[in-house]
Amino acid sequence: MHSIDPFHGFGLGLRRTHYADFLEGEVPVDFVEVISENYMVEGGKPLRILEEVRAKHPVILHGVSMSVGSAHGLDHDYFARLRKLAERIEPLWVSDHLCWTRTSAHNSHDLLPLPLTREALDVVCDNIDHAQEALGRAMLFENPSSYLTFPEDEMSEWEFLSAMARRTGCYLLLDVNNVYVSAQNHGFSAQDYLDGLPMDRVRQIHLAGHTPATEDRPITIDTHDREVCDVVWALYASAIARTGPVATMIERDDGIPPLAELIAELDRARTLAAADGAIAA
Amino acid sequence: MSDLAARQAAFMESLLDEERALPGDWGARHAAGIEIYRNNYRSALVEALRSNFERTERLVGEDSFARAAAHHVITHPPSSWTLDLAGEGFAQTCGELFANDPEVADLAWLEWAMHLAFVARNAEPLSTESFLEAAGTFGEDDWVSLRLEFLPGLQVRPTRHDLKLLWSSLGEDAGEVEIACHTDKAATIVWREGERPVFISVDAAEGRALEAMMAGATYGEACDRLVEEAGPQAVELAGTMLRRWLSEGMVERIA
Repeated sequence: MHSIDPFHGFGLGLRRTHYADFLEGEVPVDFVEVISENYMVEGGKPLRILEEVRAKHPVILHGVSMSVGSAHGLDHDYFARLRKLAERIEPLWVSDHLCWTRTSAHNSHDLLPLPLTREALDVVCDNIDHAQEALGRAMLFENPSSYLTFPEDEMSEWEFLSAMARRTGCYLLLDVNNVYVSAQNHGFSAQDYLDGLPMDRVRQIHLAGHTPATEDRPITIDTHDREVCDVVWALYASAIARTGPVATMIERDDGIPPLAELIAELDRARTLAAADGAIAA
Repeated sequence: MSDLAARQAAFMESLLDEERALPGDWGARHAAGIEIYRNNYRSALVEALRSNFERTERLVGEDSFARAAAHHVITHPPSSWTLDLAGEGFAQTCGELFANDPEVADLAWLEWAMHLAFVARNAEPLSTESFLEAAGTFGEDDWVSLRLEFLPGLQVRPTRHDLKLLWSSLGEDAGEVEIACHTDKAATIVWREGERPVFISVDAAEGRALEAMMAGATYGEACDRLVEEAGPQAVELAGTMLRRWLSEGMVERIA
């Protein structure tokens, strides 16, 4: 399987609200990440817009429906469409999540949690092998945020991810906010998580905002609807110091502000990375 | 089925069915967790429906739409990898839930057809000039056996209401909703013009002829049906409809 070289840069997720900014102006980002499924269509305006954005910026295809954690098999139509899109867009890389979304009967359209067992690890590794083969390229997989753990868990999430990367040759997309959210929900140390990951396999970092737990709802939720909080910034500084220069981006899916606000927020990532010396300012 | 497959099937059932008992070894913390996933599941699908059926929501009101969307999510749990298809069957759901207001199902069908046309395969329509050039050498048999391929995403259905009027009265800045039935039986055709989905209303007989040709009937067979329905006017109607299909850019090529 091909290797993926580190890409030094700072980017944003492309959202419909900002299409005009990207098409008509010069947006100061080093790459753009798009949700693959939004463009896995036959034709029309979405694909035309993506191609125009691609002409200006490197693009990352980030998926939410591959379902490599599913013990019910993979969807072959999905892979055919994703491969076609990847060949058309020539992305920096293709990524998805360590999760499952489908059974043979239904699709949740949500990133569902996996039991951290040897059986699940075997399923995930088989599916990632198939995915990388079907796409003809190595992929990145992201640590999800989760709202429950399973009584049958046999290892930590970082041990699971490490074994997954070692066995399949895939790379990691480290979502620092997800580490924080899951650490809050499950009571582990976010620093232990970072210590346990093979940082040389990380090629991208995600940053996002979340909704803190309340007295009535003792669960922190990964909502992507607000600014990155200070604790997550501190975790990012710790992570980027360990990964060295990798791609960093901010995800915002709800309460999307004007682009200038996201650019300003992204500048904070640039400053932190530069202060650490991971990436020259 | 493997142990993990069985557990995932049970988890999915718990997601879809809020009254389903949780596994015996799950505690309060797990119950709180699954409630987050259930909420994510429901809200993602309802939001997808709201996004695809904006005018239908304006027509029936937010509360009624929310109930219809929740009903649809329960009766039509998604199986596709794409959230883009969450609205499949929603027009039928509206037909059942708003049986006394049939304009709701007509409008929901229209919004769904336009959604599908929006991302259909790109194709250049066959111009009237190109068609006439090709047809210049047609003999009678060629006309009878003529088959057409229509633009990807083109759809047609019999509709009872004036959807043009209803559509424009439900725009973001529009005033009072205007609902009117067609005086004659009609059909609505949806297709994409460039990047923009568009629609027109036509006579019901033309709608049926188009439907037949989309299913592979020849022009001769479509004309035979027109004769049965429209009698002596069929010949004129056949010419009018073919010219319309070409001039509106609905035909991709001669099959």
